Amino acid sequence: MVSSESSHSALHQIPRNSLALLMIAQVVVLMPHALHLSPWIVAVGLFCGFWRTRVYQGQWDYPRNWIKALLVVASAVGVALSGSDVFSLEAATSMLLLAFALKLLEMKNRRDAYVVVFLSYFVIATEFLFDQSMAVAAYEFGAMVVVTAAMVGMNQFHTRVRPVASLRLAAGLVAQALPLTVVLFVFFPRVAPLWTVPLPGGGTTGISEQMTPGDIANLTQSDQLAFRVVFDDEVPAYQELYWRGLVYSDFHNGTWSAQKSRFVASPGEPAAAGDAASYQVLMEPTMRDWLYALDRAVPETPGVRRVADYTLRSRDPVMSVFRYEVSSYPGARLDGRGMTRAMEVQATRYPVDDNPRIQAYADELWQRTGDIDGFVRSLLQQISSGDYHYTLKPPILPSENSIDAFWFDTQRGFCTHYAGALVFMLRSVGAPARMVGGYQGGEINPITGHLVVRQYDAHAWVEVWDEGRGWRRVDPTQAVAPARIESGIEAALSAEDRAELAAMTAARLGDWTLVSSLLNWSESLEHRWNLWVIGFDAGSQRGLLEDLLGDITPVRIGLAMLFFGALSLSVAALALFWRRRPTRRHPVERAFRSFGDAAARHGYEREVHESPMVFVERVGHQARVNPAQLQLLIAQLEALLYNPAVAWGSRELKYLRTQLRRLHFRLAFASTQ
Amino acid sequence: MVLLGKNEQIRLALTCLVARGHLLIEDLPGMGKTLLSHALAKVLGLSYNRIQFTSDVLPADITGTAIFDRASSEFRFMEGPLFAQVVLADEINRATPKSQSALLEAMEERQVTMDGVSRPLPDPFFVIATQNPTTQSGTFPLPESQLDRFLMRIELGYPEPDAERELLRGGDRRVVLDDLQPVADLARLTFIQEAAGAVQVSDPLIEYVQRIVEYSRQSADFAFGLSPRGALALLSAARAWALIHDRSHVVPEDVQAVLPGVVEHRLRAAADFAGHGGGALAQKLLSGVDVVG
Repeated sequence: MVSSESSHSALHQIPRNSLALLMIAQVVVLMPHALHLSPWIVAVGLFCGFWRTRVYQGQWDYPRNWIKALLVVASAVGVALSGSDVFSLEAATSMLLLAFALKLLEMKNRRDAYVVVFLSYFVIATEFLFDQSMAVAAYEFGAMVVVTAAMVGMNQFHTRVRPVASLRLAAGLVAQALPLTVVLFVFFPRVAPLWTVPLPGGGTTGISEQMTPGDIANLTQSDQLAFRVVFDDEVPAYQELYWRGLVYSDFHNGTWSAQKSRFVASPGEPAAAGDAASYQVLMEPTMRDWLYALDRAVPETPGVRRVADYTLRSRDPVMSVFRYEVSSYPGARLDGRGMTRAMEVQATRYPVDDNPRIQAYADELWQRTGDIDGFVRSLLQQISSGDYHYTLKPPILPSENSIDAFWFDTQRGFCTHYAGALVFMLRSVGAPARMVGGYQGGEINPITGHLVVRQYDAHAWVEVWDEGRGWRRVDPTQAVAPARIESGIEAALSAEDRAELAAMTAARLGDWTLVSSLLNWSESLEHRWNLWVIGFDAGSQRGLLEDLLGDITPVRIGLAMLFFGALSLSVAALALFWRRRPTRRHPVERAFRSFGDAAARHGYEREVHESPMVFVERVGHQARVNPAQLQLLIAQLEALLYNPAVAWGSRELKYLRTQLRRLHFRLAFASTQ
Repeated sequence: MVLLGKNEQIRLALTCLVARGHLLIEDLPGMGKTLLSHALAKVLGLSYNRIQFTSDVLPADITGTAIFDRASSEFRFMEGPLFAQVVLADEINRATPKSQSALLEAMEERQVTMDGVSRPLPDPFFVIATQNPTTQSGTFPLPESQLDRFLMRIELGYPEPDAERELLRGGDRRVVLDDLQPVADLARLTFIQEAAGAVQVSDPLIEYVQRIVEYSRQSADFAFGLSPRGALALLSAARAWALIHDRSHVVPEDVQAVLPGVVEHRLRAAADFAGHGGGALAQKLLSGVDVVG
């Protein structure tokens, strides 16, 4: 291969500076992918980098062709074996990253280096398929700068190796592109995708369809965001913030599960009584389709519907931050119309052979009280006055007769324990009841005023069917730990439980005020990012464009893009111009400059090294100006410009201007002859 | 007239002396370097010593050494040739770096320290060093850090044909040298040096000097830019030049006149890997930097 040998001439080689930057860029670009792809891919990337470094040091050689072929095949097999679906996003990205890493091993000349640079930009874009948070966006902005710097480095002199200068230049270039990026982001039509990319799957933390009593207690370990809520008006009282997510109707072997068959049509619309609370929810991806809302929710966003148990469902699973609007009517009543026979059967079903003790206990209590209200009241009374405790670490219960064991023996539990016991007892006496899972409470961010609901706000409570009033919420946790409902989880926990909380959770819950206010601040930033950047979808774009342009026509969008594009580019141009602006000019120099420009128009060009005096003398002689006058002007120029001992004011300046203008006329006259 | 047809160089040498800087003359042998320095000393009525550098000159040969005095039974310091107001360090680049640095230390500190006793050198103290072009064999080129201590480096160059004819026609120039009478004394020289420091500089001129320095740092033609010390040297040389030309203030022509002498030995072209030269760079500064801001 003679040609490949000769391509090693200095012209095609990758400058050392750029090679180092390229390697750094590659690490920077690969790093975030390490969080969600198999570690072996990262290892391959690092190994290729190591190999290339050895090649640079002259210790190793570039791989032979058959080794390269082997590596490619091995990578493909590795991706196929690594578990995820062959046509999944993970597999495609893995393949891309492997190819990107292997490209290092045949990066010999400039052309290859450019391929690596462009691949780096592409890899940066793919990261946003996995994560669109502000932190990632900021990181990838930095990565752009590094990649651009590598490209800048490739165009530098071999002898002038200045990585910092390349980085600074690259940062400037990327910063200049920002205004135009914003304009395109706002105005470029959001076309529906021609094909869909299978989005990343995988587990997320949150409420699930199956719930055993310990599940929610485990969720309190997580401070992960569940969703953010922006209320149109003021936020309702804390103890009213019951975010309903799923309704659990089936109980089996100590596990509650949400109903599989959904009664799609809701029987009986709630009478839209009382004031509505309107709000929008920005939900974090859950990969599931249920949404969260306050009770008696009426969805206002297309694609969100309400099912029979008054919970909300989205058409598709929530794969990225999802924004929906809801109006809730807390005062709505069902007037007994909301129950069908099938629903009643489901809401009273319970395993007859499970928990015999509590069945007998409930029967006995039912005999005494006689109606649902009294029954529930005396049960809550029992919980609050008896030796019941609210704890994150309840003793482990057997899968059979678990409610018996909890109610009579251990008497310590979390919200699910109490709610489960209550529902079971209600059903065993024939009263329709169900368990609801979701979140309760949330924190109001003091900066932006939105409500943040995190996983540790997860909660479960009970709904009881009341003839004439419909489903009514009963929360046994309020009886055992009122603080949990009134001010959140940290108030309800014992010191022992608190020690169990993860550090971040503890920090958010305000053990250290400085940290929690910092966290509040970053939370408000994230929220704005979600609201304005991630949540800026086709709908919000249409709204904004209508506000801005009135009628949306292609011509108007085109003109707006043209206008704002030009505006943004001129902002960058102005910034450049401002940086290169001459320092504040001396008035005499300014006067001389305008004379010089005028003289140049008549063919009397000043050499840059000619001082004003020399220039005036030269052109004065050429134009045959009276020598005495000329000397006077020269002396004056010298005095005003270079002799600080001479005091002068506007009068002298004016006189000098007049003299210069006179000389200019002489020059103009001389040039016509 | 001792040195014929070299008025410009004589003026530059005088400028250097007035600005209290040291002078480096780089030229081939026989161009009149020694003559120039000797004449300067004589005209100004200063004491004069000459040190001929060779590769075996030791630092003590320059600064002096302690000698045991039998009469008083103690060591007595014998001053070396450095103890004179004008010192001609001839062919400085033939000496080893050790001896070179002994001289250059003394130039910077204006004193000689031996056996823990510091002995001040006379004032004024003016070193004229000469060197052959370093490409000649048997030379040790001065490093940048030491070149920086010379305010100026000038070249004498071949004489003009007229001057050379005159030279050939006339007798031995050294005889003429003996006939030179001092035209100034020490007090007068000190007065002149002080006057040079008082020469005024306007803002537009400071900005011009700053633009020159900035240009040398930004332009891709230069391996590295002028240091702040270089900028100060440029300005003080321009002041002395202005004084010699009977002005109370500096004009751009003063800066331009001293510029090659002051900056050439402090600069190196980006494409110059051998690390020498810089004559074209001064021209680049002159033609690349606008006098008017």
